[in-house]
Amino acid sequence: MFSVKPTKPTFRSYLPPVQTDVKKTIESPPKKVEPKLLQGEIVVNEVNFVRKCLSADSSQEGLWGKLICTNFKVSFIPTDPPSEQKSHLSHLLLGLHDIPLTCLEQVVTVNDTKGKKKVLGSNQKLKFNPTELILYCKDLRIIRFCFVEAGPESAKKVCLAIAHYSHPADLPLLFGFEYQGRRYHDSKGQRVNDRGGLRTPIFDRPSDWDREIKRTGASEWRVCSINENYAISPSLPEHIVVPVSLADQDLKQNSIYFMNQRIPVWCWNHPNGSALVRMASIADPLQQRRIDQRFIPAITKSHPQRSEVIRSDLDKCLPNIQDLQSAFIKIRHICVIDSFEESEERWLSSIENTRWLEYVRAFLKHSAEMVYLLDGKNTSVILQEEEDRDLNCVVSSLVQLMLDPHYRSLVGFQSLVQKEWVMAGHRFLDRCNHLKKNDKDESPLFMLFLDCVWQVMNQYPAAFEFTETYLTVLSDSMWIPLFSTFLFNSPKQRAQYLMDFAKNKAIPQGEDQLVYFPPVWDWSQQYSTADQTLFNNPMFVGKGAACVQNGEVKTFRRTKKTYSATVRGTHASLRNGQKGGEDSLARRGSLLSELKPDFSLVKDESPSERFFRDWFSRPADQQSLLIPLLIPSHLALWKLYFLRWVPEACIFKGGPITAYHKLSQLVDEIEILQSHLRQYKGTRESGSTQLPGLSGPFSSQRRMYFKASSLQDPPSPPDFLTSSFPFTPSGNLCRRSTYGTPISKFLNGARIWLSTETLDNDPL
Amino acid sequence: MITQQIPWVQVFRDSGKEEPQLLPNEAVQDMAQDVTYFCPFIGALSGTVLVTNYRLFFRCMDREPAFVLDLPLGVVSRVEKIGGASNRGDVSYGLVCKDMRNLRFAHKQMEDTLRKSIFEVLVKFAFPVSNGLQIYAFEYGQVFPENGWKVYDALSEYKRQGIPNESWRITKVNDHYEVCDTYPSTLAVPVNIPDEELKRVAAFRAKGRIPVLSWIHPESQATVTRCSQPMVGVNGKRSKEDEKYLQAIMDANAQSHKLFIFDARPSVNAAANKMKGGGYESEDAYQNAELVFLDIHNIHVMRESLRKLKDVVYPNIEDSHWLSNLESTHWLEHIKLILAGALRIADKVESGKTSVVVHCSDGWDRTGQLTSLAMLMLDGYYRTIRGFEVLLEKEWLSFGHRFQLRLGHGDKNHTDADRSPVFIQFIDCVWQLTRQFPAAFEFNEYFLVTILDHLYSCLFGTFLCNSEQQRLKEEIPKRTVSLWSYVNSQLEEFTNPMYVNYSNHVLFPVVSLRHLELWVGYYIRWNPRMRPQEPVHQRHKELLAKRAELQKRVDELQREVTNRSASSSSERTGSPTRSITPVQTFV
Repeated sequence: MFSVKPTKPTFRSYLPPVQTDVKKTIESPPKKVEPKLLQGEIVVNEVNFVRKCLSADSSQEGLWGKLICTNFKVSFIPTDPPSEQKSHLSHLLLGLHDIPLTCLEQVVTVNDTKGKKKVLGSNQKLKFNPTELILYCKDLRIIRFCFVEAGPESAKKVCLAIAHYSHPADLPLLFGFEYQGRRYHDSKGQRVNDRGGLRTPIFDRPSDWDREIKRTGASEWRVCSINENYAISPSLPEHIVVPVSLADQDLKQNSIYFMNQRIPVWCWNHPNGSALVRMASIADPLQQRRIDQRFIPAITKSHPQRSEVIRSDLDKCLPNIQDLQSAFIKIRHICVIDSFEESEERWLSSIENTRWLEYVRAFLKHSAEMVYLLDGKNTSVILQEEEDRDLNCVVSSLVQLMLDPHYRSLVGFQSLVQKEWVMAGHRFLDRCNHLKKNDKDESPLFMLFLDCVWQVMNQYPAAFEFTETYLTVLSDSMWIPLFSTFLFNSPKQRAQYLMDFAKNKAIPQGEDQLVYFPPVWDWSQQYSTADQTLFNNPMFVGKGAACVQNGEVKTFRRTKKTYSATVRGTHASLRNGQKGGEDSLARRGSLLSELKPDFSLVKDESPSERFFRDWFSRPADQQSLLIPLLIPSHLALWKLYFLRWVPEACIFKGGPITAYHKLSQLVDEIEILQSHLRQYKGTRESGSTQLPGLSGPFSSQRRMYFKASSLQDPPSPPDFLTSSFPFTPSGNLCRRSTYGTPISKFLNGARIWLSTETLDNDPL
Repeated sequence: MITQQIPWVQVFRDSGKEEPQLLPNEAVQDMAQDVTYFCPFIGALSGTVLVTNYRLFFRCMDREPAFVLDLPLGVVSRVEKIGGASNRGDVSYGLVCKDMRNLRFAHKQMEDTLRKSIFEVLVKFAFPVSNGLQIYAFEYGQVFPENGWKVYDALSEYKRQGIPNESWRITKVNDHYEVCDTYPSTLAVPVNIPDEELKRVAAFRAKGRIPVLSWIHPESQATVTRCSQPMVGVNGKRSKEDEKYLQAIMDANAQSHKLFIFDARPSVNAAANKMKGGGYESEDAYQNAELVFLDIHNIHVMRESLRKLKDVVYPNIEDSHWLSNLESTHWLEHIKLILAGALRIADKVESGKTSVVVHCSDGWDRTGQLTSLAMLMLDGYYRTIRGFEVLLEKEWLSFGHRFQLRLGHGDKNHTDADRSPVFIQFIDCVWQLTRQFPAAFEFNEYFLVTILDHLYSCLFGTFLCNSEQQRLKEEIPKRTVSLWSYVNSQLEEFTNPMYVNYSNHVLFPVVSLRHLELWVGYYIRWNPRMRPQEPVHQRHKELLAKRAELQKRVDELQREVTNRSASSSSERTGSPTRSITPVQTFV
């Protein structure tokens, strides 16, 4: 320590303090009309006397203030902010009315009097003075500003600036590069140089893989570093895991036959020995045999029972990335762009027609089939996809999520995303379309994955350490360009850009990338410790948690053997390669043929169906294998994600949050009691005769967002409890629906004629 | 645990048992071996069938664990012999059930042609009313610690609401069901309308069902009143007394100079009723009244909708087109319209401080749905278990929802056009509310399912007959057991551990298909692929148990430490034995 008292800051921090002191905020009323800027953030353009619409219908209601475009965000600063603007999740880097430029999906300007509209792209002209600006955001918000009282030229300039700056020409122009560079130098010296205290493994070095091999008991697999400096494959990580029996030389030689040189690499091991492996397609079909002879026996050899290997070609059985994108656009349309009443009309069939839920189900179903192979059939599985960078990410991570409770913890989940998405070379840059260059590469695969996770979570609410709020916030983080996680197409691309970045920003060589360009997993970048407790699921049944059966409190037995499939021995009958299941329905007599149609026939049950049925007939152990129910009636729309901004869909003083509220309070009480118990025990052991001054855990250590209260129940639930909690629809979904052609119709074709000038025949 | 010592608790849990545990006065009527049950999920199962005066019991021992089917005969809607004898000499029977399932059995042709098939025996006991037999509820006679017939007392419920007061009085005009034989004997009416006038109003309302008070707002005095349609007819007949009466209802609430009349029907149907002498209030005749049609369809439409729903969900759900198939049944759309109507009523009363009159045609189907749902939204008391029982006893049973006619207890006439799932639809609406407000109800889903199961089972007398008068005549409370006796004797089973008793919480649900869901826990429960989802409240129960356990240990240790400090340090007299509150307060 070289300074005792805190050094006077040399720059002005615009970050709100992490621990917000209530008194301070009351003393200084926030009356300034100045934007809060981050390090390196500059104002590009601004306009005064702008009205931000607060709701869709009443064009009267609104908030007056200044609209600003910076190199990071669109910011709106109300002149007279409403006093009661308590948002329950306050972002440390973004204000209530801020939208990161990366989060903009479409920038639309409107002139009502002239009846013109235009979708603005980069470097464009605008032939009319906009009376309105509508921002369609990737997190499904729709924000609308009105310029009736604003200077027409300034308004136009801001609109053009927003459009221009939201289409960055090159990746390093994304604000994260500026921000993290400044932040690195500004906060130098205060940091403990240990990966920023990150608990999530990043899988950028052999030790992370080694630990994963040990954790899963994959003794026949080894970490291999042939791809160091990306010498073999441009999209695989530097360290990969391969069968022990394959030599480096062998791998190198055969890598050329795979797309992108993505040879089969290990993802995960079942305690019974079967392995999950992923790979790209073989570029030259003539080499198929040769490759099969090299790799398949090696994978078989890595199985303790030398069990067979099954390859699943995902391109053949799952929707492709364009299908997914088009489904997502449609469902988003129905949920937020179409007017509420209009879409209410045939809501169910409209949702069905988007096919989004069908695709969610398809991915879950295919993953469950893989689970059957790995667990029920004890075979190793190779997931194959042309490039091994999209569908494989979804299926591989879902399979692991179902099979391994470790990935249902917060850190485990983050390591899963890191391992199967980030390091596996999922093209986040292209799929997110951060540079808005190529719409045809855009696809919501990660979003699809999060939705699938939510479906499992929805069916097994006690199985996950984290909440749906966490999943939602994670999805929102994709659109904030400050974290290295979602910015790059591959580890190689990241390494290259970050090397240049370090050079440009005079960051010393050898400094850890995670320190100068941190991933999203360091949540303290975005949220206070108190707010992060919203990620904690009070229902989570962790290791050794109590469970009540018939009124008795029992403790969950958690041993390695809870992967019960090994004991079940279903695989024995299947090993001969014969189809199983014949025995179960062998004697269906002639009577069945007489049955009337309303007594429909029992379908032939496949071995996997039988496996699922068996599994479902037993009580689920939250800390073991989990298989989601896949009857269509059991897949639901993820309301928090899709409907959180829709004011008409917001249940006041209701929604699942009211249960979460009650549960959190209960768990907090339990934790206080546990803390008391420890203190009493301490007293007893130390032989002290003094009563301990009972104190609960420090508030910073308390895991629950809602704290226990011994007060009588208040007369009514707190107002902030709504089905959108911790988000608020107010001012976040202002579609134009009052007159003229609904903007939805206009936007239908918008992707095709993105920069067409005006719609002359558009009546207003 | 206590439950093991109480026989009646076991009775309802024995579905896993291989032998049926017979209820009091339940007797085996017939038994047959080598019967095949065609399970739509597992396939053909061969086993033994037992028929008693209460249930059908099928058991297949070939499987591990044994397969058991145990259903009360009350759920059987129709039994049909299917097809002729097959070449193997089998005869088969289909059972269509009221609780969303169909069953199919077959057995060998009887060699002794005089002997009846067990399914013919079953027909006799499944439809006791049609066969001159007694419904099993009259034989049951189980004694419970609680007496459910005492749950509801009209006078105490009105008293709870503050009635009588200066504007409303209790009248005994219908004490002998002379004014209206489908109404309860105790009615609450405006103070300034004498009994004689009530009779004249009754003449103008269908079936004599005059507007009477269902609920009064404790602060604003805005009221929910219910009645049947006015007998306007094609000629637009008017009744001075009726007009004065509605004016009196409006005047009883000083907060508002308006009265809303909610006609549950679509306006077309309401108009069509004029041809049959009925109709609706014209705004000319009833000044200051505003008439609103709520577009809820009639019992026949609802019956058809549920039939379609059964087709879609039983036995299996098609993998594709689930949502559009569900949409085509219109079931959720009907649910939406009912809830939307109730929400409008609750909103008018709560936010508009305006009194409302609710009716449909006869005022015993849609009207009951609307008033009871609005009351659930407005008054937290009805969201407790006992409060909900009171609500059913009051708005449904005492106000003459024709349970016998709508459900056809023990009656073989399954095509009867009077049958309709009006009450099921209401319970579905309640379930929808519990989904949107998971902490606002004292009861859980199992409570609602139990009510629906015993709606058909005919084990309890609660849902027998069509009106209070009939129930009195049949001496139902004397001769049968109330469902609430059973429920209230084991409240823990039906309690929602998440319940928070907010005293002043009016529920305004979002009535949109975005939030309305199919009640899979009821409609799809026969599907073995539908394992109940890990219920949130189960986990909550576990946590409650854990808290209790910890609290106990903390208390013990506290006592120990206190004792020790007291004995070892007598010098420090008067050391304050801090009583430690169970949980410290952090807000």
